Amino acid sequence: MSKIHEAVAELRTAKGVKGAAVLTMDGLVAAASLEASLIADVLAGLSSYLLMTTNKSLKEGGMGGCARLTLHATNGKAVFVDLTDAYLVVMFDQFADIAAATKQIDEVAVRIRRASRLS
Amino acid sequence: MHLIQRMKIWKELRRLEQRAREQPAPTTFVDLGQVYLNLEMQDKAERIAEDGLALFPKSPELRQLLECARRGIRNKRAAELRAKVTRAPSPKLYRELAGVLVDLGDSASLHSTCQEWGTRFPDDAGCWLVLGQARLVSFYRDLASREGLEAVRCLDRAVQMEPSNVEARRLLGELLYRIGAVRAAEQHLVQLQAVDLADEEVAALLRHVATLSDHGDDLEALLDDVESHGSLRHASLAAAPRGGGDESMARVRDGLAQVAAMPGVVKATFIRGSKALVKGAIRDGKDPFLRVARVVAKAAHRFARRLDIGSANKTIVEGPFGDICVCVYGEALAAAQCAAGADLVQVMAELQEIVAGALHLAEK
Repeated sequence: MSKIHEAVAELRTAKGVKGAAVLTMDGLVAAASLEASLIADVLAGLSSYLLMTTNKSLKEGGMGGCARLTLHATNGKAVFVDLTDAYLVVMFDQFADIAAATKQIDEVAVRIRRASRLS
Repeated sequence: MHLIQRMKIWKELRRLEQRAREQPAPTTFVDLGQVYLNLEMQDKAERIAEDGLALFPKSPELRQLLECARRGIRNKRAAELRAKVTRAPSPKLYRELAGVLVDLGDSASLHSTCQEWGTRFPDDAGCWLVLGQARLVSFYRDLASREGLEAVRCLDRAVQMEPSNVEARRLLGELLYRIGAVRAAEQHLVQLQAVDLADEEVAALLRHVATLSDHGDDLEALLDDVESHGSLRHASLAAAPRGGGDESMARVRDGLAQVAAMPGVVKATFIRGSKALVKGAIRDGKDPFLRVARVVAKAAHRFARRLDIGSANKTIVEGPFGDICVCVYGEALAAAQCAAGADLVQVMAELQEIVAGALHLAEK
């Protein structure tokens, strides 16, 4: 298993995490560890749409790019972390405490960035 | 379709989809949607148009594409329902079919469907209500006396056949007071109130109607008068001046001022429909923060709905600009841009208070 896959799989052990994936901006899945209800391609397509839309509006307004996006919905939560040309996406259930998982997510993001640079 | 032809189309679709992702532009989305329309995949064309409109909300071509896709979906649905009605007719199916035809604006088919419905189920008042609603839409649009008279005739027939039909009686009552037949309208509204004494809307309507002047019961003359003047005699309850809206906006303004005064908050806004209230360092309506808040809210909503995780209520975007917090419930949106060091949990809680308060007052 590659280091990126290992890092993503490790995130699954955090409390309330339903899945984690590394996705490219154009909607491709680089690595994923998701529970059965989450389909990697669907998540990739929708994440690509959300992040490209957000980044486009930020860039048009001269505000730079999106480094992290946190979304709370009625039945779930999601965190997107910029990895330069790709995003780490972590899906949570609606009861999860995102703040408690932030440190672990940041650590994993750093490891993935390092691993992708080396590869 | 030939296999090779199909493969070519799928290849073209993949290319266009990639282009829409990499270089989003209205024409790219329209081209992609058009291919889906040609393949009779209207649902996909609708999705493409919606995605495009999230990025380019003012594009007339994308609006046209969305309209075209939705029309196609409705036409398909109408054909399905028509086939079902032919096999096993029921008032429920007729009602559904008539609803789709109303949305399509196909008045000729609507009339023939309602005629058939009335012939097969003569005791069902539904067909008269639907016809009355269709006539009413035409009347309110053109203020043509003939359409108004037809609307009254159809709604009156529905009320006579089913005196407890709340919708027909309400529409008839509203039409009557708006053209000046205030006493006749009051009779219907009083009967409507008798059905449900706790109905606040009817009570408010009755209070509103009691303040209006009556101009007699000659409906033909009243409708001719409306047609010649080009305006209805009395305003609707919704258009009548009220204090509630002012109170609601005053509270929102106070709430926004409170958010803007919090440490680290640079600017804050409340948006509902096309209106926006702003506080803090906002230059004008073109401030990028306003556009980002709208776009993020819409994209997050779509992401959550498509992923089946409900409605996206709160979103935080972090970047070199600081943090943008967006809180949305229904059509009300509150957002704030914060610099480093702001208490985002507290800011989000305040934004939620503003949105919830605005919704609560709007529902009153």
